[in-house]
Amino acid sequence: MRWIALLFPSLPLDVFARALRPGDARAPLVVHGDGRAPRVVAANAAAREAGIRDGMPLAAALALCPGVAQVARDVAAEDAALAQLATFALTFTPAASLAEDAIVADIGPSLRLFGGEEKLVASLVGGVRERGFAVRSGLAPTPLAAVALARSGDGRRIDDGDVAAALAPLPLAHFGLDADALATLAAAGVRTFGAADRLPRGGLARRCGRAFVAALDRAAGRASDPRVPFLPPPQFAAKLELPANVHDVAALAFAVNRLVQELASWLLARGLGVTELALALSHERALARSLDSPCTHARFALAAPSRTSAHLMHVLRERLARVALPAPVAGIALATEAVAPLAGRNHALLPGGEADAPEVPLVDRLRARLGDDAVRLVVPHADHRPERAMRASSPGGGATGTPLPAAIEAPRPVWLLREPRPLAGLIEAQPWVLREGPERIESGWWDGGDVRRDYFVAESPSGEVAWIFRDHRRGTDDGEWFLHGLFG
Amino acid sequence: MTPALAALLSHPAIWRGDDCAPEPAALPTGFAALDAVLPGGGWPSHALTEVLLAREGIGEMRLVLPALARLTRERRQVAWIAPPYRPYAPALAAAGVDLARLVLVRCRDAAEALWAFDQALRAPECGAAFAWLAEADERKLHRLAVAAREGRTLGVLWRRPGVAARAAAAPLRLALDAGDGALAVRVLKRRGGEVAQALRIDVARRWSTLPDGVALPPAFAPRAPSRPVRPDPRSSAGYGQAQARAARVRRAAN
Repeated sequence: MRWIALLFPSLPLDVFARALRPGDARAPLVVHGDGRAPRVVAANAAAREAGIRDGMPLAAALALCPGVAQVARDVAAEDAALAQLATFALTFTPAASLAEDAIVADIGPSLRLFGGEEKLVASLVGGVRERGFAVRSGLAPTPLAAVALARSGDGRRIDDGDVAAALAPLPLAHFGLDADALATLAAAGVRTFGAADRLPRGGLARRCGRAFVAALDRAAGRASDPRVPFLPPPQFAAKLELPANVHDVAALAFAVNRLVQELASWLLARGLGVTELALALSHERALARSLDSPCTHARFALAAPSRTSAHLMHVLRERLARVALPAPVAGIALATEAVAPLAGRNHALLPGGEADAPEVPLVDRLRARLGDDAVRLVVPHADHRPERAMRASSPGGGATGTPLPAAIEAPRPVWLLREPRPLAGLIEAQPWVLREGPERIESGWWDGGDVRRDYFVAESPSGEVAWIFRDHRRGTDDGEWFLHGLFG
Repeated sequence: MTPALAALLSHPAIWRGDDCAPEPAALPTGFAALDAVLPGGGWPSHALTEVLLAREGIGEMRLVLPALARLTRERRQVAWIAPPYRPYAPALAAAGVDLARLVLVRCRDAAEALWAFDQALRAPECGAAFAWLAEADERKLHRLAVAAREGRTLGVLWRRPGVAARAAAAPLRLALDAGDGALAVRVLKRRGGEVAQALRIDVARRWSTLPDGVALPPAFAPRAPSRPVRPDPRSSAGYGQAQARAARVRRAAN
């Protein structure tokens, strides 16, 4: 067992600050609680420089730094962020769980896959930082010990062996134990794990409770400590409030990238790939009233399920570039509309053989820039009427069409005109040579699209081979001539 | 010629001005006469080709469909950018094209079409990209030629013959014209020597696969009449009994 604990010391701040580009993050920002006299819960580096401290009344903070940006603490967003981070941890190990404000994960079984403890911890911690969260980690053979280590400082480790001896100097307060029991022991001068662990068990259990003693045993690895694994939500929906309103789409891309990273780890943890995404850009409430809708929505579909964040981001960035913002954006939300199972990818046996680099498929690049309906497939449809014998479908939709039985093999042109074009004048002026025909097509009286035509392959005076027909819909045999296709 | 010299000259990296340049990758066109004059014996599958034609419908697509069908069956994607008409699915399916791999791209303007063509030429999954561009200046065409070479894609640019006088950025340029029942193909530019004569490619072969027993009125038999037929219901050329009856009805009405 090798447990890593991740603690997020500035979570209340980070849920807001991570939406800011590094340049914008230099402005002072405080997060405050609610109530009649709200206090500062967290302050960023710039605010600290101005003298603002956690726990200070908000009024005092404003006096110290009048220009400070202030946002109310969002506990729901913090919980959502913890869940997202736990989902990210699940991409490293199947046994990740939430422990109050920490995430603990057993990375023992995954060490070999990720190339050792150093590399795994570096990519896990690095990934969390990349997502915009400050993090402290601790590594130990038991989850409780790992959390206590992370609380004591960043990057501390205990190797297998005598865990109790290694934990001895750590303060008891870092183990997340019952506060009354801690106060009782502190009054007796017992403040470290080692001091408490040395006390006689019976007396300790009488004074502080059985649960306290059991917790000490679990921390030292003398008792098992089963954890309920975290399950990623069945649907992905993430929101990001922007601390300052964003006017231009380029600045938005940075915040969207944060959500796309979360989406990518959710997809990986659930073994899925996304095929349809919805992005909602919510506008400032005051302005939203004057608009038709409080949100600007953008939907996009992918040709094949994907979970590569570079691929998703490329598509989103192109799509965003075509969005016209009616008002500044105050928040963004990303949700999956349709997902499909996506199996893992095998790595190459030999190094350097990674031919399938995260390339964005052509269809997705075209659709992102030109719009979803600019890129189409055509599939045959079982109808004898030429204009209805074909349907458009979108790539990746899986539509294969229903061709007519193969027995019907009459000549069909490669190019079809959108509407049959009357030939009256043309055909009178210069003779056309009929090469083949007639092929009578008579169908559709039941659905209003009644046709009754004799089709011919004809050569025009200028050498085009065309598909022309004579319309007999009115029941007579001397109807108009129409051009319907070209044998390209 | 000494054997050593002959061995040297047969080296694939050496080509002489009087014969066709060896093309690194060529895709058989399906027409032996055309393969014979194209460098490498087929469509250059890693290069841009310009095809000039005055109007659609003279058999230009039938010239390329065998190669397209082959590409899509090899699970390569084919992109058509800004086609002039609606590509008709039943005809393409009958020609053996796997329609799931034929992507049609509609563009609002020439700039979008150029961009899409460039993307398609560079995409590794794309085996062939066709674009119908009304106009494109030579510098942009040069970029497209580079894109086709780097993306290893068979790029075909369909243009009007007016540009024939200008220098071609593409290594291969063909001009198509309607001949008498066949397609006249002139090779305007290729790597290697000139081709003076226009080829006559019979793309029509047989118009239909209808049973041979279908009797057409004499006027409609392919090339049967010495004079072309004016399909006029009042002419005596005959449309069968139904037409004759209709004519009688009209005469009676008159």
